[in-house]
Amino acid sequence: MTLPAVVLLLVFNYAPLFGLITAFQEYDPLVGVWNSPLAGFDQFERLFGDPLFWGAVRNTLYLSFVQLILFFPIPIALALLLNSVLSQRIRNFIQSVVYLPHFFSWVLAITIFQQMLGGAGALNHFLRNNDIGTWDIMTNPDTFALLVTAQVIWKEAGWGIIVFLAALAAINTDLYEAAAADGAGPWRRLWHITLPGLRGVIVLLLVLRLGNALSVGFEQFLIQRNAVGHDAADVLDTFSFYYGIATGDYSYGAAAGLFKSVISLLLIWGANKLAHAFGEDGLYRK
Amino acid sequence: MGNELNRRSFLNAAVSAAGLVAMGPLLSACGGGGAQRAGVNSEAGLKAALPAYVPNTSIQPDIPSVAGGPDALTNPGFLKYPANRIATVSGVPGKGGKYSTVTPLWGTIPPADNSFYQAMNSALGVELQMKPADGNNYNTIIPTMTAAKRLPDWIQLPTWWNSQFNTGGLAGTQLADLTPYLSGDNVKKYPNLAAIPTAAWRTGVWGDKLYGIPSFSSGFQVAGIIYYRRDIFEAKGISPDQVKSADDLMSLGKELTDAKNGVWAFDDVYRYIYTAFGAPLKWKVDNGKLVHLYETEEFYAALDWNHRLATAGYVHPDALAGDNANGNTRFYGGKTLISSGGTGAWNLSDAQSGAAANPNYRRGAFNIFAADGKSAPRIDMGAGSSLMSYLNVNLKPEQIEELLSVANYLAAPFGSAEYTMINYGVEGQHFTMVNGEPTHTDAGKKEVQAQTYPFLATPASAVSSPGNPQVTRDYTDWQAANVKALAKPVFWNMNISMPQAQATADAAQSVEDTMKDCIHGKKKVSDVRDAVAAWKTSGGGDKLIQWTTENVLEKHGTGQ
Repeated sequence: MTLPAVVLLLVFNYAPLFGLITAFQEYDPLVGVWNSPLAGFDQFERLFGDPLFWGAVRNTLYLSFVQLILFFPIPIALALLLNSVLSQRIRNFIQSVVYLPHFFSWVLAITIFQQMLGGAGALNHFLRNNDIGTWDIMTNPDTFALLVTAQVIWKEAGWGIIVFLAALAAINTDLYEAAAADGAGPWRRLWHITLPGLRGVIVLLLVLRLGNALSVGFEQFLIQRNAVGHDAADVLDTFSFYYGIATGDYSYGAAAGLFKSVISLLLIWGANKLAHAFGEDGLYRK
Repeated sequence: MGNELNRRSFLNAAVSAAGLVAMGPLLSACGGGGAQRAGVNSEAGLKAALPAYVPNTSIQPDIPSVAGGPDALTNPGFLKYPANRIATVSGVPGKGGKYSTVTPLWGTIPPADNSFYQAMNSALGVELQMKPADGNNYNTIIPTMTAAKRLPDWIQLPTWWNSQFNTGGLAGTQLADLTPYLSGDNVKKYPNLAAIPTAAWRTGVWGDKLYGIPSFSSGFQVAGIIYYRRDIFEAKGISPDQVKSADDLMSLGKELTDAKNGVWAFDDVYRYIYTAFGAPLKWKVDNGKLVHLYETEEFYAALDWNHRLATAGYVHPDALAGDNANGNTRFYGGKTLISSGGTGAWNLSDAQSGAAANPNYRRGAFNIFAADGKSAPRIDMGAGSSLMSYLNVNLKPEQIEELLSVANYLAAPFGSAEYTMINYGVEGQHFTMVNGEPTHTDAGKKEVQAQTYPFLATPASAVSSPGNPQVTRDYTDWQAANVKALAKPVFWNMNISMPQAQATADAAQSVEDTMKDCIHGKKKVSDVRDAVAAWKTSGGGDKLIQWTTENVLEKHGTGQ
């Protein structure tokens, strides 16, 4: 039964790994992978000497950090809030509303932000007509990290609560009743029953999040790169695209991509170790 | 012409394609592998390879071409579709061969094996398997074909790829040499191909051999021009003729911007206005020394002007936010009144889209002017053709001859029986004549309207706007008034392909990025100077200039 999944994995995930060899070549699409000349570590030497590359690394880590602090707790809080709503109908309604943006493409999400908050958008139109002065958020590189995090929250927070809701549903309700009978208030129940019940899931997602610290998204930055400039918006993935694929420098882009993969692997390995150290399961049970 | 062809979409594609590209490095040390790049063309070699030019006079336009300088010519205009649709090809060109093709299409892909394709196959006498691919991703699918050495029999490779994509490396190794079939008088066997102007063929010559067949060639090729809303200007009593300098244009920004009502004077105009400041397209020769655009003060003057335009608040905020895709919508809706773009934007479908937003909609363009208001106006000519098709090197000579006969059919002049077939299909089935103009039926809209065959070969461009001759008059009048301003830039039509490192430096991604921030008002001109300084040293800029000097300028001259 698992055969189709294994084949899928082999064909679409493992076989393409072979293409990593281009990072050690001067890849030429006219002659293909087999005939392109080898270049050893030349691409990596260039990469590590490129200030734009380090700018992209810095942006990636910074955005990841901001999202970890500002985004990660939101779905947990939302799930707790939703869990405390008793009416099933209202719960369903709220859940549907907060899920919806997840299914929008980034193009649409950013267009909506532009229409609302952009220089010619609804908010600034109102401000201008009332002579209050305009508020430049969509093209301000200094506040770009906050903007993209707000966009991620708007788009993904609702979707992120699914796992937590499932974990909440798994907590034995008898515990709450017993605690309430013993005189524990809502906060004490949250602290001593709910959060410990969620701990495993939270740690697992944190591990995954750390492992993906270098993947903060692609389209979101690609689309807004012209608006705030490459200094603020270039992350590792857009760097690979603009300085690799877009200029036909395929091997250079592959080197940047490979660098990202190796660091990500180390991060996820480290985070998993950490989880085990805290006595949690992490990605797998030890 | 002017059916579905929209140069703006080409340009958008070109901008995104500034990448997608691919190159083979000329690595001497590493040996093996890297494909050789066919070199630049020489004057003598060109003369031997280029086809003779025999103009076709069988169909006379309503508005004849006007000549400017050498190789500069306005497009002829047709106010009505020629009533007598004469046939220029006798018999069926093909001999029953079967061939695969790949062409880009900016629009909805027609259904495969449809009735129009079948009708074309029987008219052509060959089985052409049409495989139109999404134009926006076109540049990502070709490198996979070249790497696998599996190009189709007939393929379109746009010329704006030339500096980045190694078309020169494909010439001869994967693309067929057409010189023996088309050079000099050989072309007279194919009279419709012979009627394509020489400048367009030049774009298909690599290393002194002819490989490409041009589509949509024109004697009036420019990167783009500055447009304005003629209806709104006239209503406000503003004459475009009062714009004689960059300062005049800037002052319109103050006059026309009404942010409270959501109207900004300008959309992004930098890309088509910087040469008005005297900056070269990319290269100029100063006292025998090759100078790159980034080394000229005129370039920084143009940046400064655009930076001031943005910071003064005269540019639409969405344009400053990098949203180019909706530029047309803003222009149609009157949210911006001055914009820029390729000349292909000036056509019937533009007039129809504009009229849908505002019944009075009328596009106009400023005459070419010099930023200082004193120098002679000039605009750089582009390559003779933006689109070239190529045949596969593995075809046998008789197969090449068969496909050239098909190309001859596809290049039949505007208004001929063949042209009508290619662009409108079968009368009664795909189109009917309404008020003397061929008009697509529903089947025609679905199967014919999105152009496929024209990306393999077309006649030289003609202007027409069936049912709305005003558009043709406006555009041909503007061309006639400005054709004298056309001038050849350094390395005009020279098909330079360069080694990987130089091509990367040529793309100058880091400078282009900083430049965009500058014209959007986010960075200063001095930041661009810093980026250029870094580009010259660590970005390979100086080496690019040196390489181009030694391998192009000193060996082959300026091509002007």
